[in-house]
Amino acid sequence: MTTLKTACTALALIMPLTAAAEGVELTLWHMEQPPHRVARLQELIDAFNAGHDGVTVTQAPQNWGEIYAKAPAALAAGVGPDIMFVTPDFVPILKQVRDIPSVQEFVAEQDAKHDFIDSAVEAYSYQDGVWAVPLYNMAMNLWYRKGDLAEAGIEVPKTWAELQSAAETLSKDGVYGLGLPANKQLYTDQTVYSFMVNGGATEIYNADGSLRFDNPETVESYTTYTNLQKLSPPDSTSWTWGEAEACFISESCGMILQFSVITGYDTQGAGDPADLGVAPIPAASADDESNTIAYANAGLILSEDEAERAAAQDFLAFLLEPENYGRFLNMEPGLFMPLTATGAEAESFWTEPLTAKYREQIEQIIANSQNGQLFGFTSGRTFPSIAAISAQNLIAETLQDIVVRGNTPADAVAAGQALMVEAAAD
Amino acid sequence: MRRSWQMNILLALSLAFLCLLILLPFWWVVSSSFKEPQEIISRSPTMVPHSFTLQHFQKLLSSSAYPTYMLNSLIVSTISAIITLMLAVPAAYAFFRMHFPGREVMYRTILLAYAFPSIVVLIPLFGMFVKLGLVDTLTGLVIINVTFALPFSIWMLRSFFAGLPKEIEEAAVMDGASTLVILRRVMIPLITPGIASVGIFAFILSWTEYVFTSVLIVSDAKRTVPVGFSGIIGQYQIDWGMLLAGASFAVLPVIILFSLVGRWFVGGLTEGAVK
Amino acid sequence: MRGSTPLAIAFVAPALLLLAAILGWPLISAVVLSLQNIRAIGTGGELIGFDNYAEVLSDATFWRAGGISIVWVLANAVVQTILALITALALQQNFPGVRIARTWVILTWIVPTVVTVIIWRWLFSSSGGMINPLLMQLGVIERPIGFFNTPTTAMATLIFINSWRWFPFIALMMLAGLTRIPSDLYEAARLDGANSWRRFIRITWPLLAPTMGVLLVIGTLLSFNVFDIIWLLTSGGPAGGTRTLPVLIYETAFKSYNLSEAATISVLATVFLMGFALLATRYISKTEAQ
Repeated sequence: MTTLKTACTALALIMPLTAAAEGVELTLWHMEQPPHRVARLQELIDAFNAGHDGVTVTQAPQNWGEIYAKAPAALAAGVGPDIMFVTPDFVPILKQVRDIPSVQEFVAEQDAKHDFIDSAVEAYSYQDGVWAVPLYNMAMNLWYRKGDLAEAGIEVPKTWAELQSAAETLSKDGVYGLGLPANKQLYTDQTVYSFMVNGGATEIYNADGSLRFDNPETVESYTTYTNLQKLSPPDSTSWTWGEAEACFISESCGMILQFSVITGYDTQGAGDPADLGVAPIPAASADDESNTIAYANAGLILSEDEAERAAAQDFLAFLLEPENYGRFLNMEPGLFMPLTATGAEAESFWTEPLTAKYREQIEQIIANSQNGQLFGFTSGRTFPSIAAISAQNLIAETLQDIVVRGNTPADAVAAGQALMVEAAAD
Repeated sequence: MRRSWQMNILLALSLAFLCLLILLPFWWVVSSSFKEPQEIISRSPTMVPHSFTLQHFQKLLSSSAYPTYMLNSLIVSTISAIITLMLAVPAAYAFFRMHFPGREVMYRTILLAYAFPSIVVLIPLFGMFVKLGLVDTLTGLVIINVTFALPFSIWMLRSFFAGLPKEIEEAAVMDGASTLVILRRVMIPLITPGIASVGIFAFILSWTEYVFTSVLIVSDAKRTVPVGFSGIIGQYQIDWGMLLAGASFAVLPVIILFSLVGRWFVGGLTEGAVK
Repeated sequence: MRGSTPLAIAFVAPALLLLAAILGWPLISAVVLSLQNIRAIGTGGELIGFDNYAEVLSDATFWRAGGISIVWVLANAVVQTILALITALALQQNFPGVRIARTWVILTWIVPTVVTVIIWRWLFSSSGGMINPLLMQLGVIERPIGFFNTPTTAMATLIFINSWRWFPFIALMMLAGLTRIPSDLYEAARLDGANSWRRFIRITWPLLAPTMGVLLVIGTLLSFNVFDIIWLLTSGGPAGGTRTLPVLIYETAFKSYNLSEAATISVLATVFLMGFALLATRYISKTEAQ
């Protein structure tokens, strides 16, 4: 054992982890791993490094698949990143491992400058602090083909009833009217919650932290979803985002719920901006306002060193500057939406070729995302147990209880609440 | 041995079945990686491509660090295979022929290395590797791969030794050769096919390793092919053409390697045999 | 037996020390973890004795996952043995191209698991997937079906994919065992008038048994611990129908954030597997000695 350790240490000396450094070095972890996103981010990082003497940012893209194990393990071992791009559900986990200081002042400063969408800041505001800096948004929308609807003689569905009848009308030989997933996976959490926010079941916690998932509105949302899901392709029980997108752009699915299909539609599908339709998720009834699920991705500063924290704030502020912000968001055109008022108008955003080509659709997505909500991160009612509830995909599991096991929505939702209580308890 | 016509038909049927079972998925993947994007996800898939394009491969090579991943994979797999052999050959010989306390028990225990669920090893190992400075190094990957290739390699090599005729070794002993000389001059040359098999086994095991690499490697420049491949699949969007091109490319180097040394692997196995 | 004991120890020590260092320490720390109450990685905890064991052993989810694991191991063993035996027997024959066939049969095993998973996910899907259209053309099914829709079909599909990856490797090991059977035995049996089936039962099968025994032990350990194929294809679903113990361990550690409980399950699984492997290897060496 000792010989091995010596040998390993010797090897480690030959291959040092980090080079000796001058000034401030910041490591950025993010899960935007597809090569074109990494490339775009690198352009921005290079520009930032060139303009900031003594500060060097380097990126290390990570995979969503392992990050829930890797990031806490790395932080605990002291080799974690200094900045990380996260979704709201990730913050409570990392907060357990490391004492993260609030960035309330910095966020307020940037808010004054760029005007954040309120719900984005809200998703990171709880327990007397603001924990991360909102950076880019993703919101769920209803996607359809205008030509298909016109041919079938139907209007864009605005209510659940209209959605049901539109899906039935569009179902014909080999085509599924509406593609909805029923996998025990995050995508299903998202699509089911899209119905819950429209059915009055936005809050899954009471103000005191007790769970209120089991209520008539939730049951009603699940009932509607289950009925619509019957019109989906047979493999939708194992769908993730990619399969749903492929179903839509190959015209096997008439409509789907998705953050964005724009890149896929343009490169792998028909690519006709005049035919691609995007609409808000239908509301429960005509009197209700439509709402959606939105993931405000944010920059989380993990470094504990004062100089590094200041440099990290500079970097995030740099990304939020309108002349950079649009280019940053367009690392995945059509998917990442601005979270600031200045960003939504930024020239750097709208000049990207693909964004310009699908401007009409993207304007609609931004409009849809204005009041997006995320389960467990609403109205400041955020409690640590949301990390386990969302990681275990309990919303999707409740759906599988109905779709796979054949239980009634009421029983499944009651069982789902029991699972959530258990997740919160232990 | 002559076969009856019934046996010939049975043989032909099983071979055709195996051929379809093994080759059809590869045909689908490789041929589809040359199709236009629209054809790949089409509702009525085509057995033979109706279109031809190299765009997926161009995109893969120009936008991702795939060549780097391949180089890393080659380095890690080659070194892992060599070190595995360096450790496994003497150990297998000792287990086969030499006397030391606890021989039988240890020999039977080494395979228990495969009894650990890898997930439980992962987290303590990460902590240990951080202390040793092995996180995010190819050295760390080599150590892991060798560890998991060793038990099976020792088992295989021991049975190769056992398959050798006793007389050869006895003749060398009569000549007064020392153990080291016998091993180096007599035994090792005789089990070259076995060594080739075990080396290739360790190489492939390292080439396909995913779980440990994905956690122990942090930076893009150190990724291996399997981990790099999983990175080109977006969380929210999938470029199916690029994915299929990546899949084709992930297999290509091993296919080239195998067309060079594959017959050694199989030859070694079937000559030496596992006891 | 020959060679000095110090030399023998010098021969085995590097390999054994490496195994002990890389696997021994994590095993000890898993045992220590299982006696504590640590939640997420990197957070603190204290010793609580055997409470975790009591809790896990009284948890229905654990027993269900254990049952699914046993089904998984058994079904894989059966499917792979049958496929591998057919393959090995076919490749033992002489026919034009047999050398090429013997080399390239291994193709499925040299593909990284992640790639295997993606290939099959795509092939089984209804967008561009080839399996449904193929089965429809063959008249097996009338309309596209979802292979991961029910726990049973999902399990069957996973077993198929995992077996597809492993059976050629096992087939080659069996082929190795087959080549060791002296051909004069067959000739003698043929002269006695035994038909091919009787020759298989009386000669091939008994003489292949030791090889099969070793393969069965290693195969059981390896397939019990298969995690990535299951996790990447079904995540243990639908409705927990493919949640084997490794999947449960992963979920407990990284989804429910209960590291200590995950360690407890791991220790129990390891003890069970070790017990099985020790009994099986002892049985094999006994039958070999006879």
